[in-house]
Amino acid sequence: MFRRNYAAMFGLFLLVLLVLVTLIGPLVYSVDPFEIVWAPLTPPGEEATAPLGTDYLGRDILAGLIHGGVATLAVGLAAALITVVIGLTVGALAGFYLGIVDDILMRVTEFFQVLPALMFAMVLVTLFSSSLVVVAIAIGLVSWPPTARLARAEFLRIRNLEYVSAARSVGAKNTRIIWQVILPNALPPLIVSATLTIGTAILFEAGLSFLGLSDPNTYSWGYMIGSGRDNILDAWWAVTLPGGMIFVTVLAVSLIGDGLNDAFNPKLRER
Amino acid sequence: MRKFKTLAMAAAVMASLVAASAVEAAEAVKGGTLVIGMTQKPRHLNPAVQSGTATAVPGTQVFATPLRFDENWQPQPYLAESWSVSDDGLSITLNLRKNAKFHDGKPVTSEDVAFSVQTVKDNHPFKSMFSPVEKVETPNANTAVIHFARAHPAALLAMSSALLPILPKHVYGDGQDPKSHPANNMPVGAGPFKIVEFKPGEHVILERNPDYFIEGRPYLDRIIIKHYKDSNSLALAVDKGEVDMFPFVTNTRDIGRLKKNANLEVTNQGYAAVGPVNWLAFNTKNEFLSDKRVRQAIAYAIDKNFIVKALHGGFSERASGPVVPGSPFYAPDVQKYDLDLDKANALLDEAGHAKNGDGTRFTLKVDYIPGPNEQQKAIAEYLKPQLKKIGIAVEVRAAPDFPTWAKRVSGHEFDMTMDIVFNWGDPVIGVHRTYLCDNIREGVIWSNTQSYCNEKVDGILAQAGVESDADKRAALYRDAQSIIVDEVPIAFINTLPYHTAYSNKIGNAPISIWGTMAPLDEVYKAK
Repeated sequence: MFRRNYAAMFGLFLLVLLVLVTLIGPLVYSVDPFEIVWAPLTPPGEEATAPLGTDYLGRDILAGLIHGGVATLAVGLAAALITVVIGLTVGALAGFYLGIVDDILMRVTEFFQVLPALMFAMVLVTLFSSSLVVVAIAIGLVSWPPTARLARAEFLRIRNLEYVSAARSVGAKNTRIIWQVILPNALPPLIVSATLTIGTAILFEAGLSFLGLSDPNTYSWGYMIGSGRDNILDAWWAVTLPGGMIFVTVLAVSLIGDGLNDAFNPKLRER
Repeated sequence: MRKFKTLAMAAAVMASLVAASAVEAAEAVKGGTLVIGMTQKPRHLNPAVQSGTATAVPGTQVFATPLRFDENWQPQPYLAESWSVSDDGLSITLNLRKNAKFHDGKPVTSEDVAFSVQTVKDNHPFKSMFSPVEKVETPNANTAVIHFARAHPAALLAMSSALLPILPKHVYGDGQDPKSHPANNMPVGAGPFKIVEFKPGEHVILERNPDYFIEGRPYLDRIIIKHYKDSNSLALAVDKGEVDMFPFVTNTRDIGRLKKNANLEVTNQGYAAVGPVNWLAFNTKNEFLSDKRVRQAIAYAIDKNFIVKALHGGFSERASGPVVPGSPFYAPDVQKYDLDLDKANALLDEAGHAKNGDGTRFTLKVDYIPGPNEQQKAIAEYLKPQLKKIGIAVEVRAAPDFPTWAKRVSGHEFDMTMDIVFNWGDPVIGVHRTYLCDNIREGVIWSNTQSYCNEKVDGILAQAGVESDADKRAALYRDAQSIIVDEVPIAFINTLPYHTAYSNKIGNAPISIWGTMAPLDEVYKAK
């Protein structure tokens, strides 16, 4: 299954590598990413003090790549978590209770779905300062509708299956049926979707940063891209290197998500 | 023999002068369209009630002013063919041209001048500019006499560029508020060009005024001012030749790149009067920053040479006081606060702010104007690692847009902020406002938002504001500046590296003290 899926295993390998770099890297390479270490806009490979070059202030790009991962990954995870919590709750209630609950919740979902996601996130970040927490919440708030619809569809399908009727016939309460009977069976597609959401959220954070809306007091890959953007024509490395890190992370997460999807899909399961 | 040589030389000089002017006249081509690219977008086009470069560039084409200034700070006739200042300095008589007409065909009279002075006095954000005006007399249609309550040495300068546009009284005198007058979007003036189209955020299209009061001018048929979202895309458009002129280039990488283009000329002339200073302002009501020693320590910790040379690639210049170098009132001999971390640490120790366990003394927030990143954001971010060296933790507070920043700073809800403030030619107009005790006005941006108050400085500035002897005035400003620099309500960092990039087809590029914020009636474009 998952282990035989080479693409997914490669994704997992990349992700483990990234997490290791992010967690252990700062202990090995302890240069403060905010510190100015050399002349501004030194290209990579020209100076041993900053092997991957410096940004427009003269800050070490390598230090930024190593120290900036924590914030980026944390934002991705937190946003994905918020997405799943909101999406699952809304979808589960709508799909289980149907009727008026479904109508109201789905109209709300549609309302959020028709809002242009990036614009809405920008408004939120603009209103409530650009700290990392706000960015994570903003991304979570704009990306939950697809998850909600997916959860609702799963609940609609499962709620009429025989084992649910069986549970109901022995007197199980609604909450028990939702959380303990339907949810475990609805989880596989939701896990896949959540994994992919991590990737989207990281990209989203990079997009907000590109527009200059990232937290200037926390070093993240998105922040590096946002601050290097002005000099993109003169210093490709200040934007491309953190961009590459984000690319690798999103690729790894997507490969894992696809692998999980295949693994959960009974039709592709080899017996 | 000697005599002959002198004569011959004089003749040669004469000949060359004649030849030069002949070449110049022959070169001035009539017709053509000048495309100017700008990133600052105007809300409306009436400079009488609005300061700033966005309104000033089109505004000075549409409206004529009594005077204009050349590149040597000398007043030149414009709407006024001559003028005289009374011996006591308390009145100025303007003799207006008789052939000047507004774009709608009505003549420009002294009534319009009197009306314009009053409108600017009542509505322009630069209160000090015309506040000494008592009344304007109009003995006849072509003579206006402006009377001042006290001597006003900056008065002539305030009658040039975008500072005193002559408005048509028959349009603006209808009792409506000039700040929101419907004519502000399609104004009627007497300048070299008239408005044909204004699309806010996109472009302003101006067309030659055929009845302009200077014979044979303007040379250009049309000026299009195109507004760009950011300087990167504008710089690319200039590089490709889509835009003929890019004034107010601030980004030094753009300047460097445009300089390499053989089809472009790049100059830093034309900004002497604007006098833009990039600085770090302190809220002197902050518990830490109320101590002069703390402010001095921060000034000592900022490496101005690094900023000017490394961050700005040598294109900006160090600023050391309220008045920019290049102004007649610049003070060269003030304390320069060269980088000295030991001194900075010693000052903070002396002020009683000991370092705690992790080497931090206290935390300060720094704000910056969003937009001109290289001047503002970059230096705000630079302060974070740099002030860490003297034990001050800096938190960079980003503002999503200009109004948010302006609200924080004008509401005095800040610790320190990066800021850009213009000298506007004369200290009375652009410098006094930052330091006077009675200009601590909550809610007004670019007032004395530092809440700095020193009665001695107030006294000297008041005296300098009415002193008509230029040397005595300069001496007074030197005194005021040395006190201000010593007390550091503001850490002066650099002057903005404003440049104008223009196509080498453009002749008579605008290099007067006001640059593109002056009538472009002499500019031409070769075929």
